[in-house]
Amino acid sequence: MAQYDESSQKLTIKLVYYGPALSGKTTNLMRLHDILTPDMKGELMIMETADDRTLFFDLLPLGFRAPSGLLIKFKVYTVPGQVIHDSTRKAVLSRADGVVFVADSQRTQSVNNGESFENLAANAARVGLDFQQLPLVVQFNKRDLPAILSEQEIMARWEKAPWPVLFSSALTGEGIIETFKALLAAVYRTCDRLYRLQSDHGLDCDSFIAQTLGGSLSSARG
Amino acid sequence: MYDFQSGGDFERDLNLDELLTGIDKSRLISALNVLLDTTVGVVDDTGASVIGDNSSKTVDRVPLHGELEPVGFLQTRTAVPSERLSAAADLMQLILRCNARYLLASDIHLQTQRDDFEELQRRNVALQASEARYKKLSESLEIRVKEQVKTIEKAHLKLYRNEKQASVGRLAAGVAHEINNPLGFIRSNVATAASYLESFYEFNALIDNGASSKDLRKVWEERELSLLLDDFKDLMKESLEGLDRIAKIVIALKGFSRIDQTETERADIDTIVRQICQVAESQWQQKAKLVLELSSENPIQCQSAQLGQVVYGLLGNAVDAIETNGIIRIRTAVRNGVVVLEVQDNGRGIPEAVLAHVFEPFFTTKEVGQGTGLGLTVCHDIVKEHGGTIEIVSQVSKGTRVTVNLPVQNAIQHSRES
Ligand SMILES: Nc1nc2c(ncn2[C@@H]2O[C@H](COP(=O)(O)OP(=O)(O)OP(=O)(O)O)[C@@H](O)[C@H]2O)c(=O)[nH]1
Ligand SMILES: Nc1ncnc2c1ncn2[C@@H]1O[C@H](COP(=O)(O)OP(=O)(O)O)[C@@H](O)[C@H]1O
Ligand SMILES: [Mg+2]
Ligand SMILES: [Mg+2]
Repeated sequence: MAQYDESSQKLTIKLVYYGPALSGKTTNLMRLHDILTPDMKGELMIMETADDRTLFFDLLPLGFRAPSGLLIKFKVYTVPGQVIHDSTRKAVLSRADGVVFVADSQRTQSVNNGESFENLAANAARVGLDFQQLPLVVQFNKRDLPAILSEQEIMARWEKAPWPVLFSSALTGEGIIETFKALLAAVYRTCDRLYRLQSDHGLDCDSFIAQTLGGSLSSARG
Repeated sequence: MYDFQSGGDFERDLNLDELLTGIDKSRLISALNVLLDTTVGVVDDTGASVIGDNSSKTVDRVPLHGELEPVGFLQTRTAVPSERLSAAADLMQLILRCNARYLLASDIHLQTQRDDFEELQRRNVALQASEARYKKLSESLEIRVKEQVKTIEKAHLKLYRNEKQASVGRLAAGVAHEINNPLGFIRSNVATAASYLESFYEFNALIDNGASSKDLRKVWEERELSLLLDDFKDLMKESLEGLDRIAKIVIALKGFSRIDQTETERADIDTIVRQICQVAESQWQQKAKLVLELSSENPIQCQSAQLGQVVYGLLGNAVDAIETNGIIRIRTAVRNGVVVLEVQDNGRGIPEAVLAHVFEPFFTTKEVGQGTGLGLTVCHDIVKEHGGTIEIVSQVSKGTRVTVNLPVQNAIQHSRES
């Protein structure tokens, strides 16, 4: 759960981009770093090997102040998608306040997507996260590629699932903000319940999202 | 100072002191001093001095950012152009960020290592527990299996004994038939002879009454008393033969019924074969002819009643294999110091697949109630106990030959000892 530091008036929220190897998690984070303009934006820390595979995690720090003066700080992580890095994936996932599951839309990746999603559920259980309660958004990435599952096929498969499903092309940035907004909306609900963001800090859902995205984007919200 | 030993939580915010871990502070500060051409100091976000000289009053001050918030400040004793100051701060931030990457990486590395190790230990403990459980289980299983085996062995032994008893029973039925036959004609012979005696008593009365020799001769001839006398002699002779036969059967049966016999005695196989055939004759009477070719001669040291069982069992199987017009041949011989007993029939024979199993306990192809499947098992055991071997050669619809080899050395050894 989010860490609330009373003395320094800081709420740290942990968001995690999870998914199979090479599905575009790191690319998602790079796009967020490019596009978002919150009051506070740290540098994107990328820890990957020479062949662009995430080794430990990537980290993007973001932040803004609520009307009450409370610092809302986000730490947005990606996990390494490669199967062998499961211990690291588990460590990064622990205490997550929200998760984006980045799936690869290519037909050939269906099995990997399924296995990775099961791995997410299993690791959530291992680190003590209630998977049913966890704010989660599913993103089908790489929509720009040719041999992909159609939106109808994907929706048919996921329609019974309780999570929002979004489509994106991280390479071009399409759908990246929509995904992030959907996650923020889900995360706001749990944080508001626990830390009374609305009543104690004068922060409603819309401005929570708008301030996280930053000035230039807040006008575009719909 | 960053604690490498225990590692940290990779998610926590690192303070300036931690971020400078492993960096040569005096070299850093002298480089900054030269670059900015003044005395430079660095304090953390609480104002505490971290490197350089922060004792006297400072003029310029620029924040050093961590992830988001300032972790400290770069300050100078004299005024410095702002772009040079922020360039120096930027340089330092680059160094701090580089170090942060390294520290975070080592943090998460240590954490996953520790988790993996704990997981391993947990699994090891669980493994040991389950191993102990299995060990206990397997121990109790072993005991249970042993008990089961004992029970089964007991049951088998009982059935095995039953089979031996049953063969005696079957034999007894045949024996009753064998004895009944001579008994029948002896009874009728004796009755006839008794009726002849009446005529002689009457003749004796004539003598007592002083009849003349002429009258006596007349009566003798009229009553054909000479013929009666001859017949009487024949009747007695026949009856005696019948009695001899009964006596023989009884002797054979007595020997055969000692199935629990454990001590050995000197006996010859030919006699055993003859005795068994004699008492079992009724079994094949209608459908087969028995041919005996017996020439084993020397008696051997053996358990004769047990060998009788072998002959009886093999003979029974041969009879069972025959429908009609059968020939059963029993041969005995001594070859290379081995007594050989062969029971051969021209019955239905044994298919190869069946042959592989015939010595197994309870294996039978006969209908329920007909066979016990123990006959050959018993034969095998008895022969083995005599140090011999038993072999079967068979051809479907041609017939079967069972050969029993009994070592004579056995007998020699025993006879030398006695
Ligand atoms: N065509 C296309 N390529 C993409 C898209 N998103 C990411 N990629 C490419 O896919 C490759 C892998 O992307 P990453 O973002 O490094 O993947 P990742 O999920 O972080 O992979 P790991 O760190 O190994 O788990 C890179 O070559 C990206 O350029 C997309 O939407 N379309
Ligand atoms: N002389 C034989 N001819 C044909 N089959 C035989 C002969 N002797 C034994 N067998 C086969 O071997 C089986 C086992 O024989 P045995 O152990 O004596 O048990 P059982 O006679 O009670 O069946 C018989 O059921 C029969 O199939
Ligand atoms: Mg990556
Ligand atoms: Mg038999």
